[in-house]
Amino acid sequence: MTIERIDGCIGCGICVKTCPTDVIRMDPKTKKAAITYPADCQICHLCRMYCPVDAITISPEKSIPVVVSWG
Amino acid sequence: MREFPKKRILVSIAAIFIGLPLLFWAVGDVPRRTVLKESLSLLTLLAFCLMLAQFFLARTSRGLLKDLKMGTVIKIHKVIGYLFVAVLLVHPFFVVLPRYFEAGVAPMEAFVTMLTTFDSVGIVVGIVAWCLLLLLAITSLIRKKLPMEYTTWRLWHGIMALVFISLATWHAIELGRHTDRAMSIYMSILAVSGILFLLKTYVAAGLQRRRMVSHVSTQQ
Repeated sequence: MTIERIDGCIGCGICVKTCPTDVIRMDPKTKKAAITYPADCQICHLCRMYCPVDAITISPEKSIPVVVSWG
Repeated sequence: MREFPKKRILVSIAAIFIGLPLLFWAVGDVPRRTVLKESLSLLTLLAFCLMLAQFFLARTSRGLLKDLKMGTVIKIHKVIGYLFVAVLLVHPFFVVLPRYFEAGVAPMEAFVTMLTTFDSVGIVVGIVAWCLLLLLAITSLIRKKLPMEYTTWRLWHGIMALVFISLATWHAIELGRHTDRAMSIYMSILAVSGILFLLKTYVAAGLQRRRMVSHVSTQQ
């Protein structure tokens, strides 16, 4: 998993809007952001950077593998 | 000879209200962040725990603090109050302060978003608790200028403190980064005990006054 956890979410929904790959969704029950599709996370850090309360933790160990194009 | 119990009481208070939250923070399963962010979190956490301690560092726990003079207790209550109420009053700014040193959302923008997200119960409860804390601080600072007797002020101080701690505990459990299960249970136990102590003092005092009034009227 790349996006690790969300602690102390206030439910503003900014992370949902900023995520380009739709990893985070608002949980209708708790009205808080939830990591719904973690496998799709591209570690762009936009959700973390735009969260007003710094609630999102992204795994520091994970990094995007370098893809070399041979074509 | 009286120094020993005094020290023991103060060390016990420090262990319960500073040592335990530090322990929960240290063993908690929360990812560590930068030194600045963790220091600000820790300062806020300790300030809140010391607000919980205020319920026990008052005349409400006269029995527990019988080895300390009430004057000393009130002095400690005032020092902790003025120092850590200030910390709690500025803690919303602590959340966005590290944003000055990071890319991404601007600190003011983050602050406005945070305060205007009324969908979050934690935020609404926190704002109300913050206003109550400000009121508590102001009415304590200008107590002698207020047009009320000391006992009336004391009653209002107690009522406001009771409502404040209920809402603030709710806010801390709902939104606190370090309030995992252990920390939440710890905070809830201390908040409920503090509230019960306060209620016991006022209800017992009220009953005693009523009993004295009825006793005097029967004698007449």
